[in-house]
Amino acid sequence: MTTTANLSNPWLQWQRAALDESFNAARRMSVMPSLWQRAQRVRKGVTTSEVVYEEDRLKLLHYVSDAKPRHRTPLVFIYALVNRPYILDLKKGRSVVANFVERGFDTYLVDWGVPIPADRHLTLDDYINGYMVNVMDYLRERTGADQLNVLGYCMGGTMSAMFSALHPDRVKNLILLAAPIDFATREGLLNLWTRPENFDVDKFVDAFGNCPPEFLQISFMLLKPVQNLLEKPVNFYEHMHDEKYLEDFLTTEAWLQDNIPVPGEVYREFVKYLYQKNLLTQNRMPIGKHIVNLANITCPVLNIMAGADDLVPCGQSTPFNDLVGSKDRKTMLLNGSGHIGLAIGGRAQEEIWPQACDWLAARDC
Amino acid sequence: MSENAEQFAEQATAFQKIWTESMSKLMQTAFTFSPNSPPPEVMKQIRSGLFDALAKSWEEFMRSPQFLDSMKQWMENAVSFRKMNNDFIAKVRNEMQAPSREDMDSVMLAVRHMETRILDRVEELSTQVQALKNGAPKPAKSRSGHGSKRAKPQSRKRVKG
Repeated sequence: MTTTANLSNPWLQWQRAALDESFNAARRMSVMPSLWQRAQRVRKGVTTSEVVYEEDRLKLLHYVSDAKPRHRTPLVFIYALVNRPYILDLKKGRSVVANFVERGFDTYLVDWGVPIPADRHLTLDDYINGYMVNVMDYLRERTGADQLNVLGYCMGGTMSAMFSALHPDRVKNLILLAAPIDFATREGLLNLWTRPENFDVDKFVDAFGNCPPEFLQISFMLLKPVQNLLEKPVNFYEHMHDEKYLEDFLTTEAWLQDNIPVPGEVYREFVKYLYQKNLLTQNRMPIGKHIVNLANITCPVLNIMAGADDLVPCGQSTPFNDLVGSKDRKTMLLNGSGHIGLAIGGRAQEEIWPQACDWLAARDC
Repeated sequence: MSENAEQFAEQATAFQKIWTESMSKLMQTAFTFSPNSPPPEVMKQIRSGLFDALAKSWEEFMRSPQFLDSMKQWMENAVSFRKMNNDFIAKVRNEMQAPSREDMDSVMLAVRHMETRILDRVEELSTQVQALKNGAPKPAKSRSGHGSKRAKPQSRKRVKG
């Protein structure tokens, strides 16, 4: 008679798996009653900040550090008009902002706020030549720096590129993070769905005004329906007893569900001029009465992309470096990472952000 | 009517085709697993494979002309419904002699036009002043982004609110 069980026996493995699963199920049940309250208590943004400038819905956050900044030129983050910007400062150990603050950069972030129905007439000109210029002017006065470092994420990167082309004297270094520039690629589903024959953006904006957040949420969800509707709930059920997994999941989900409307005219311009006509790469993009010429960007540029980005495929970001007039151009590609993985992924925190900080520090002179 | 029926039949056929292909891919995936893995891991591998196969099928379907047509129809219906709703509410507000969204939009647009005219004028004046300072002749109006002496966009100071 054997005293040790032969665990290579499949029947024994199944029994052991069934026993483990029953214990895990009990742990899951114990977590469920407090799940809702935990979801409500998710903290949005972890690095200490203060609001230093406000204009209409816009708030400029300054990240406070105990130590004095070691670098002369301030850094300002420009986020997209879609979703909330705290994805860049989501949690401890997963904060892009904290990387730069800890490296001694005087760091700011533009929180565009939540548009109201009256904001439906705001255009890209209002944001780029209005709000962004005012923020930069304020920071010039506050810090004494003639130029600023700018980091734009996603649509904020597109806007930062346009700003840098229209106001090259105000930008010292430009970092783009998963920024769509060239919309000619048909890689992403959004490029296909927004084609003029499939989507009449004029009728849509005329009827709805601001682009509703629910519409954006459904669009993003449909980019990966199986992953979002099947895999995610199954994985959540399997791992909800794991404290670390639960914390990460609830924090990320809180942000994913925190959609905001996009001002109607901005949405119209973005879809029509960029997704449908791809005017930016042709140097025919109108911002008010001005035309954006990317060749006017002569500052050092760093273009960071995610290899597995379904929202902004690499093909949309890659051409940027060839279109600018800068001599100092660098690309960083994080293979296997998705769109928000560039901001909150563990690999991005280890591989991309330290290098990005080094790149910026070397050019702050 | 027959055109609608034909269109519906096409969409149904495409949908049926995608589901048939999905199921066959799922079945293929379900029976390709490593016999040396422990049974619980086998189930996870099967599940992962099933999800991958389903995701690929759905990606193909969402690129198909039938899906794009049905998406476009759905959007048109949503826009029409919204417009009907807007018109109804505007009519109710007009009957009650209360301001409607169209009235607000008219006022907003008038203010924006005024703002644009004023800012454009300020920008022109600024360009002229700059040109006078530089001692150069007045620059011609240009919509191009080329040239180092083009007018820089002026910031529009807003009242903090």
